[in-house]
Formats: sequence, C-alpha cells, structure tokens
Amino acid sequence: MIIALLASLLTQQAVPQEAPQIMAALTHETVEIREDFAGTELILYGATRGLTIQDEIVVVLRGPDQDLRVMQKQRSFGIWVNAQAQEFDAVPAYYSIASSRPIEEIASRDALVRNRIGLAQLLDESATQATMDLEPYFAAVERAGARNALYTAAPRGVEVLDGGLFRATLALPPRTPVGNYTAEVYLFREGRPIARRSTSMRVEKAGIERVVYEFAHGAPIIYGLFCVALAMLAGYAAAALFGRR
Amino acid sequence: MQIYLPIAEISVNIFLLLGLGAGVGFLSGMFGVGGGFLMTPLLMFIGIPPAVAVSTEANQIVASSASGALAHWRRKTLDPKMGLLLLIGGSAGSIFGVQLFSFLRGLGQIDLIISLSYVSFLGIIGGLMLIESVRAIMRRRHPEQRREGGRTGHRKRGWIDALPFKMRFPRSGLYISVIPPIAIGFFVGTLAAIMGVGGGFVMVPAMIYILRMPTSVVVGTSLFQILFVTALTTFLQAAQNQTVDVVLAMLLTVGGVVGAQFGARAGRHVKGEELRALLAFMVLAVCLKLGWDLVITPADMFVVLPRGGEVGH
Repeated sequence: MIIALLASLLTQQAVPQEAPQIMAALTHETVEIREDFAGTELILYGATRGLTIQDEIVVVLRGPDQDLRVMQKQRSFGIWVNAQAQEFDAVPAYYSIASSRPIEEIASRDALVRNRIGLAQLLDESATQATMDLEPYFAAVERAGARNALYTAAPRGVEVLDGGLFRATLALPPRTPVGNYTAEVYLFREGRPIARRSTSMRVEKAGIERVVYEFAHGAPIIYGLFCVALAMLAGYAAAALFGRR
Repeated sequence: MQIYLPIAEISVNIFLLLGLGAGVGFLSGMFGVGGGFLMTPLLMFIGIPPAVAVSTEANQIVASSASGALAHWRRKTLDPKMGLLLLIGGSAGSIFGVQLFSFLRGLGQIDLIISLSYVSFLGIIGGLMLIESVRAIMRRRHPEQRREGGRTGHRKRGWIDALPFKMRFPRSGLYISVIPPIAIGFFVGTLAAIMGVGGGFVMVPAMIYILRMPTSVVVGTSLFQILFVTALTTFLQAAQNQTVDVVLAMLLTVGGVVGAQFGARAGRHVKGEELRALLAFMVLAVCLKLGWDLVITPADMFVVLPRGGEVGH
C-alpha cells in the first residue's frame, strides 16, 4: 500500500515545472476511537521536487480548537484558590510539530512567527484582551497539553529518504480529541518556507463509543432515564443473584 | 487491557476500574456505607474529570442502593412517609445542587468546592465517629463506667418540637414537624449533586440525633431516599450537563456488587465498635489527603480549564 502511495506521489511529481514542490498524504483519512483506543501512530508520506541537501521539512498537525480558561492559583486563608483568569479562544486541542532537524536550527523565531508556526504564536493570537503579563499563561497551556502528550515536538520526526521522499511520524495519544485535523507540510530553504502543502483528516468515535456518545448528547433526557433504569436493573439483578440477607 | 470511556473521554485500564469497584464495594459491604465518599475522590485521582466522576458516581449509587432499599421495603424496615418527606426535600436539593454545580463549573471553582465540601464533611463525620467508637470501646473495657438511664428516658423537648406543621409518623412512632425532614433531605440532596455521594453518612446521624427515629428504620429509610435522590441527580446531570458515563458506571457496579458480598461476609467477623473506629480512620484519611492537597504548594501554579460547559472538547 505504501509503495502504491509513493508511486502515485511520484507520478504526480512529473509536472513540467522547476519551482520546488511538495506533496503529502496521511496513512489515515479517519482515525477511529474505539473502546480499546490507547493512542496510535500516524504516518505522513510525502514527496518533494527540487529538494536540495540544505532543505528541511517541517510537518505541523493541528487538532480541533477549544476555548480555554487558565487560572493562576493563589493562597488565601491557607488554601490554594483559582484566581486571575485569562481566557483563550480557539486554541488547538492537539498540536504537534515534526521536523527533519530541530526547528530552532531550521528557521529563526521571527520566520516561524511570520508563518504562524508554533504554539506560542497561536496562543498569542487567541488570548482575549490581556491585562497582565501573559507569558506564564502561555507556558501553563503548553505544560498542560504536554502532560497529556497533546502538544509534542519531534525534532527528528521527519525522515528524508532517497529521491526527495520523506516520512513523518506523528503520535496520537490516548486523550486525542475528536474532530478535524489539518497537517501542514513546509519545505524550508535558508530559513524560509519555499513550498507548502496541507492535507486533512478526522478523528472520530466509532463502535460502542460512538453509540454511547451520540446517545448521551443527542437524546440526553432518554439517555438519563436509560442510565437510571439500567442501574436499578443492575441493583435488582445483584440482589436476585446473591440472595438477600 | 485499556478501555476508552465514551463520556469521560479517557482511556483507563479496565481491571483498575473493576478493582476500584470491588475494593470500595468490599468496604461498603463491610461497613454498611454507600462508598460514594471514597469512590468519587478515587475517580478524580485516576484522572476522570470531576464533573464526570460526580455524575457517574451518582449513577452507580442508584445501582448499589436499589437492592438494599428493596430488601428493607420487603422487610418493612423503612418509614415510607418519612422517606417521602426526605425525598421531597432531597429532590429540591438535587435540582438546586445540579444548578449550583453548573454555575460553579462556569466560574472555574468546582474542584475547590468539591474538595472543601469533602474536607469539612469527612472531617466532622469522621471525627465524631472516631470519638463515639473509642468511647464505646472504652466503656466495654470498663463496664462499671456505663452511663445510667440511656437515651429512652425523659427526652428534653428541644427546638425541633416547637416547629409548626406537625405530622404523625406511625412506622417511626413520631409526631414531629415536617420542616426538619424536608430541610435534612434538601441538604443531603444538594450534597449528592455536588459531591457525588449518597449522603447516608450525613443522613443517618441526622435521623438518629435530630429526628430521633428508631434505629430499626433509619438505614432502610435512608437507602430509600438515597435511591430516588441519586436517580434524580443522575437524570438531571445526564440531561443538563451530559456528564454521566454509563460504561464507567456499569464497570464500577459490576466490581462493586461482587466486592460488597465479600465485604458483608468479612464484616461479620469484626466487632461493631472496632468496625466503626476503622471506618472513622478511613474517612479521616480521605479527608486528610484532600485537605493536604489544598494546602501544599501545587506542582503547577496554573490550571487550564475547558470553557463553555462542555467537558473535554
């Protein structure tokens, strides 16, 4: 299957044009979260045209957005209380960067900011009107995401193969959120992106997970009654099974 | 073997959940308590979002109290009239509690309120239970110090008897105002919604010491009220907040049912006072752990919360 994929990418490559080009495809168009889901690995295959030895490749996989509230803990009356909230709109719930070399070596901070690569830049854009120093809040969001492996960086996660082909490995952790994902692939030369390509995929619940989730959200009232009825039945069955004493 | 929970949206080891259910079930069978006060914090410790832990635990308590309530109903060891009044108060409390829960979650303070509620209630109840059982053990060792008269003597007419709207409760042999049972029910219903507990550990002492109900009907009536209040709480949390994870609830129930059988058997070999002292130590241990977490300097000074009501999206 991989061979076929690469072959199709190579034939696409035979376009008569000299400018550098990049093509990419993900191994999955949808990732299904079933009851045994405990994270998975996603492979992105790509082909480049006009790749030179000093070119580098960066792959950014971005998950669905979520609104966040970040609060700083403060001690009051001896206990730690959440205070000083800062709100963020549309922060990606998943964000990972794979590159052929550590990203700091590929491009300058300014170049990354200009191309909107990196979580710090996205957080800066998504913060609602700030009244204080936001740096610690950005760091807190990054830490929280990193803790569940939702924000990752793989400085050598892109393998450049022969003939302008490359392969990026991206990890989807157990807590992968459902929704639409986009993968942006950049070809960097001398610190500037000279070609880019994007592709997308979906993470969705499947099987029992999907049935339960859709039941709970689609018909919450019936779902609530169902949960209560099931629990009562279970209690009754237990009593019947073990005998009442 | 990992299982992905559809509402909690995390992957947890299935044997850990069955084990938790069995462990807490064993203790609740042994001590005759619901176990919600242990299970909800434990679920939060393993990473279940607090909102899901509280709502799902209410669902599990429906299952665990159903068989007990049924048995008491058949043996007529519950006071249906008193139960109904507690239930009226409890329903109002549960509705209020679920609203309060949503409101506090919106403010980002729900975790703090849950922890504070646990620390204060477990501290008070555990402390009282410990003192009471230590006294009972001492009394047994030195029988000459036994108090004379007992509780059945001339009871002081307190403020409870001064309240209006009196009603007869033939099964309990009481003639008291309807206000205290409704108020107690309301209070316990609110706790059930916020803390994810049945509330038996508050209601049983309240029925004995405030309402002065005969101990023979206390447990049955308490289970009756718990069954219906947790059923209502489950329904409201599911309908309003979509935070009931039926897969998680069923796994805990399966473990809990089995654990409770062994616990009940083990409980017969231990003396009542020692059992209560042991339970008191356990309650205090959970209280100290939660209290400690509130006062120690947190590892991360910031907390990141989802906004907009939905969990984990």
